[in-house]
Amino acid sequence: MEMMKIGDSPSESSDACLLLSLPEDSFAVISRFLSPSDICNLSLCCKSLSDLVDSEKIWFVQCEVVKALPLSEIFQWRTGISSYKSLCRFLVEVVNPLVGIWVHQNPELGNVVYVMPGFLSVVGCRIIPQEVGPLGIQEGRVMWSPVFEIISGLDGGSTAFFLHGIDRESSCLYPGFVTSIDKCCNVLLLEVEPRRDKRLCGEVENGEVRFPFCKLPFAERRKLLYMVTGRVGLNVPEVSSGMIFPHKAMSLERRAMLLKMHKFGGNWNHMSLEDELCYDPIQVDINELWTNLGYGEMDDENEIQDTQRKSLSKYFRSSIKRILRRSSSSSSKQHTCSSSSSSSSSEIRRSNLQTFLSSGDSVGLSVKATQTKLSSYRGWPNMHETRFALYKLPSKDPVESQEYAGLWGGTFGWPPGKFTEDKPGKALFLLMLTYEEESRDDSERLLIGTKILEGTHYVMHPNGSAMFVVKIGSPSSEIFPFDDTNGEEFEHCYTGEGIAKGYGFRYPGYKPGSLFVTSKGLLVFVWKETKVVLTLQRLDLEELLKKGVCVSPLPPCLNFTYLTKSHTNVFASGRRTS
Amino acid sequence: MSKSEKKIVLKSLDNEAFEVEKAVALQSQTIWVMCEDKCVGNEIPLENVTGQILAKVIDYCKKHAVVDGDGDESSEELKNWDTEFTKNMDQSTLFNMILAANYLNIKSLLNLTCQAVADKTKTIDEFHTFLNIENNFTPEEEAQICQENLWAFDD
Repeated sequence: MEMMKIGDSPSESSDACLLLSLPEDSFAVISRFLSPSDICNLSLCCKSLSDLVDSEKIWFVQCEVVKALPLSEIFQWRTGISSYKSLCRFLVEVVNPLVGIWVHQNPELGNVVYVMPGFLSVVGCRIIPQEVGPLGIQEGRVMWSPVFEIISGLDGGSTAFFLHGIDRESSCLYPGFVTSIDKCCNVLLLEVEPRRDKRLCGEVENGEVRFPFCKLPFAERRKLLYMVTGRVGLNVPEVSSGMIFPHKAMSLERRAMLLKMHKFGGNWNHMSLEDELCYDPIQVDINELWTNLGYGEMDDENEIQDTQRKSLSKYFRSSIKRILRRSSSSSSKQHTCSSSSSSSSSEIRRSNLQTFLSSGDSVGLSVKATQTKLSSYRGWPNMHETRFALYKLPSKDPVESQEYAGLWGGTFGWPPGKFTEDKPGKALFLLMLTYEEESRDDSERLLIGTKILEGTHYVMHPNGSAMFVVKIGSPSSEIFPFDDTNGEEFEHCYTGEGIAKGYGFRYPGYKPGSLFVTSKGLLVFVWKETKVVLTLQRLDLEELLKKGVCVSPLPPCLNFTYLTKSHTNVFASGRRTS
Repeated sequence: MSKSEKKIVLKSLDNEAFEVEKAVALQSQTIWVMCEDKCVGNEIPLENVTGQILAKVIDYCKKHAVVDGDGDESSEELKNWDTEFTKNMDQSTLFNMILAANYLNIKSLLNLTCQAVADKTKTIDEFHTFLNIENNFTPEEEAQICQENLWAFDD
């Protein structure tokens, strides 16, 4: 065997070959320091380099580099997708941007949806406001219900969206599309999207100005969402934790079922994934929708049979265009009149809706993750009251200077986890801890504990209010006020204030209190005057949910965003089904 | 233990001999295995590394060896030394160092040199210059690859 002579390179001209001459393992080591975009750039350098870097081995390394999944899951996910490059794409495009804690203001007890990896999917799980039993949080079984899933197709580029919900008494899945996912998204929107069947019309209309769904009035957006979910829902067996997070052998099977459901709708059971699709079952024909919306004008083509769907939709499109043209020409004629006098607001509404719908020949459910500039107060974003949206809480991994940042869970009472016979449960609280710089002075730094979930029967404080704010930059030497230390050693103390009754529900007040940090890593906040204690621990939500109890979701649209103000537990009425 | 037993001689491809402390040389897993096997004496022939490269590898190993009473170098200092070490290497030396680190199985040196190459690949134009590569894609091919890889780039 001829050995390569290291350091004996013939000349400077063969530099490119140097990289190509590296052993594959060494190149894999180099690639560990690169990102997917670096790899793509390298493959554009020249053809031989492209062959080198566009390999399973290098993309496998990239799947690790993007830090979305543990190694064992990477191997397991690869069994259901065409290549490591495709897998990496799904991790970069879908998993990494969406995984995290999403919330909504309503109901006030908390609306927490944790998005986590499933199997070749991400799953949105709502944590139900609930009580903690005698086993404690980590050992007990947390109640949750499914909100949505986004599943990867056989290649990484295609995805299938499913909204979970119930229709009357039965569990349903509502298939839809993923419109776009911004890599830095913080708002997740449930929308209705007009779609054009590519097989029906060859022409691709570029630069077509679409009327955005979010600009329609709330009543119409809601009507469209309810109508579409009312049409596309597919019955499934009662959901359970084991079904959504199936064991290894089952996971490929469930994904194949979901992909079939997405492709064939109600007929999925009789089809195989390779079968040709004759029409798209998970969309609603626009003509039908228009009629159902209570607009009658286009009904003069009633004699056209459903079987002539294609020509119908073409007709519909052209008729909309005709109407649009008519209205635009009439408005130009009346150019001098102000728009309010020439057309009533209901006509404008109607024309907006037409413009919105005219960009497709059918509509489907869609989900879109965008980045929006959100104002926030004490770690809690200000939210739209009329959008079917979830908001992502910015989450920082605990770092040296912010070691308490992130999610904590706990209950009131000291010592923690002590129960009396008449009260077997204690309300679960979830708090998001963030740091806020008040000034450049480090000693003025604040640690804020924002309440995101409260397991009481009737809410005590508004969703997103700070349970406590302490000066984390200036430690205090205060002693823990109880003789019973419950075996804990108290390492640090910070003073500040804790939430208290204020001016009505909306404006809570604050009273002095102190945060103690124990050697076992608990955070204990004690209100100075009342000696009330809130004890918090770190939570591994992923683990908690996987072994938790899955309960029925709400009807589909409500299950995504609960827009009605409520002070009680709207999610807990669900029957236990696990 | 006599003094000679603590020293070891590494011999390069061009017959240059380097006498080093055993603790320095044993950072190489390859040399460690050779010594364990006792199939060699005090002199280890490294038949495919030139003296020029071997000298640099030994420099690195000396800096990173924990020799008696000499292990109090701060990690910060060591990091700065590493950065300086690879900073001014020309590309052929850098690649040869990767090959040598791979052959001698010195994990930290392999990581260091690979990272240095990786850092130079961060922008495609620099990399073209760095490697002296001619782009041999047609504009159409290039456009198609760009389209397929769009997902990897930030919005």
